[in-house]
Amino acid sequence: MKRNRIFTLLLVLAGGLVVAFYLFGGGVDANIVTELRLPRLILTVFTGMTLAGIGSVYQLMLANPLAEPYILGISSGSAFGSILFGVLGLTLLMPLGGFIGAVATLLLVWRLAQKKGSFDRSRLLIAGVIAGMFFAAGISLVMYLFQKDTMIILGTLMGNLGHVFTRGEWSFFLVLMGVSLLILAWLWFRAPALDIMSGGDIYAGSVGINVSRVRKEIFVLTSLLIGITVSYAGIIGFVGLIIPHVVRFFVPSGQKRVYLWSLAAGGIFLLLGDLVAKNIAAIELPVGVVTAAVGCPFFVWLMLRK
Amino acid sequence: MKKNPFGLIATLLLLAILITGACGDRKDTQGQTRIVALSPEVAEIIASLGGTSLLVGVTQECKYPPELAGIKKVGNFGAVSREAVLALKPDLVFTSALEQDALTTDLAKMGLTVKQIYPKKLDDLPLVVLQIGELIGKTEEAKILADSLSSGIAAMRDQTAGKTRPKVYLEIYRDPLMSVSDDSFVGEIIEAAGGDNIFSTLERDYARVSPEAVVKAQPDIIICYSRDSLESILARKGWQDIPAVRSRRVYFETDIDPDLIQQATPRTLEGMRRLYKLFFPSEE
Repeated sequence: MKRNRIFTLLLVLAGGLVVAFYLFGGGVDANIVTELRLPRLILTVFTGMTLAGIGSVYQLMLANPLAEPYILGISSGSAFGSILFGVLGLTLLMPLGGFIGAVATLLLVWRLAQKKGSFDRSRLLIAGVIAGMFFAAGISLVMYLFQKDTMIILGTLMGNLGHVFTRGEWSFFLVLMGVSLLILAWLWFRAPALDIMSGGDIYAGSVGINVSRVRKEIFVLTSLLIGITVSYAGIIGFVGLIIPHVVRFFVPSGQKRVYLWSLAAGGIFLLLGDLVAKNIAAIELPVGVVTAAVGCPFFVWLMLRK
Repeated sequence: MKKNPFGLIATLLLLAILITGACGDRKDTQGQTRIVALSPEVAEIIASLGGTSLLVGVTQECKYPPELAGIKKVGNFGAVSREAVLALKPDLVFTSALEQDALTTDLAKMGLTVKQIYPKKLDDLPLVVLQIGELIGKTEEAKILADSLSSGIAAMRDQTAGKTRPKVYLEIYRDPLMSVSDDSFVGEIIEAAGGDNIFSTLERDYARVSPEAVVKAQPDIIICYSRDSLESILARKGWQDIPAVRSRRVYFETDIDPDLIQQATPRTLEGMRRLYKLFFPSEE
């Protein structure tokens, strides 16, 4: 209980500080704060929340502590679509390409994961990993063929929160984000079912949960969310894997609470990561590199303490 | 001593084949240096010195002048087939730097004569022309071209001296945003043509920049090579107060061909003149 309170306090303090620095650091005029920094902050927090939240769901649903949002291959498919559009010159449509890639991968994994209507977790995991490898190979191919566009490709693969929004794009993104927040809320309501399912499919079935269906729904809806985040922010590793584990260290049980805290901690952590990425060196670093560099030592410390 | 007529015939035949083979080979290369140029810049310089007939291999990117089209392609700039280069039996291979650094080492290891040429500064351009001219035996032509380039560059510098320089932002990528520093060739061309590159110093010649920095720098002119459209740039969040956006002074590939200002070639002078026209339209 005490630990829980410390965590809350830390999170609120850190969050407030990070947001303040993020928006007003360096003293700039109002136009830059509202038109450039605020959209980036919203994209960053949303991405961090989504990744960490889905990470916590996957770790429980797939009964695998190594599960993270990218494990089911959706991110590779999405990145592939986005990169393909980018190198073909459709820079403005890259998010659309990312989304198409995500949906295509979703259908592929869906098809592979199903056998006679059952949707078990090992099949899902294998299907996801296979799809991921397939699209990763596609990305390597595009990278090789379009070497001039390495920056577009790296921007997607290493995370890029500095997406340049036009006004139209921004309104569209807000709509997508609204839908995504609804899905995130829905995942919160599924938390008790996930808790029960972690005790085994047979047990969950015996208390009246349609395990296969819950898994399908979660898979489809989270895939859409991942597609959206990868489309706008690229692939940002680590957040979805480590944040739920860190949260569980403070909030040991109950997916409902683990999930909520993961959302909060993920958003703040990624914001911090981006703040560091933008300011630590003279050149802006890829945010994915920073999240790993900051997060891994912290996690090691946490493990050693335990 | 018994003679084996078959052995003798076979030996003679072999000799004959060897000799004709060697002669044929020699005829092919007699007097003509066989040259492979792997960068569009060097290929263009060679062509402008009248050396197109010496070229036996180029890369996909070598498209100017159009007469290069008929020459064998040995890959693209970043992925050159070492085997294809070797098969052309070149006397001399021109490589560039950066992506072609490893290739340069490899080709040299294979026993080929390799010259790495990467003009990074505007003032290097005439020197590089002279160097290439000497290597391919077109010294006279090279002197003439180098002199005209030097005087053209000097004239451009005189013309822009003392002028109020418009602030210029060159965008080479949109997501993530990337621009160039004055240390890059194109950055120097912008400066030489009378513009003031808003990112004079960056950590690298081509580097990521933040949208914030662009908005703060308030460029008067935007040159956009990031395949974005005018409508989309005008609609970018937070960019409305940039002078270049307000006055619609945003230019694209169709306004100024990137090859004219991004590559160090004889056409660079033309590129500088076109930039000058964009920077100082009132002088027209």
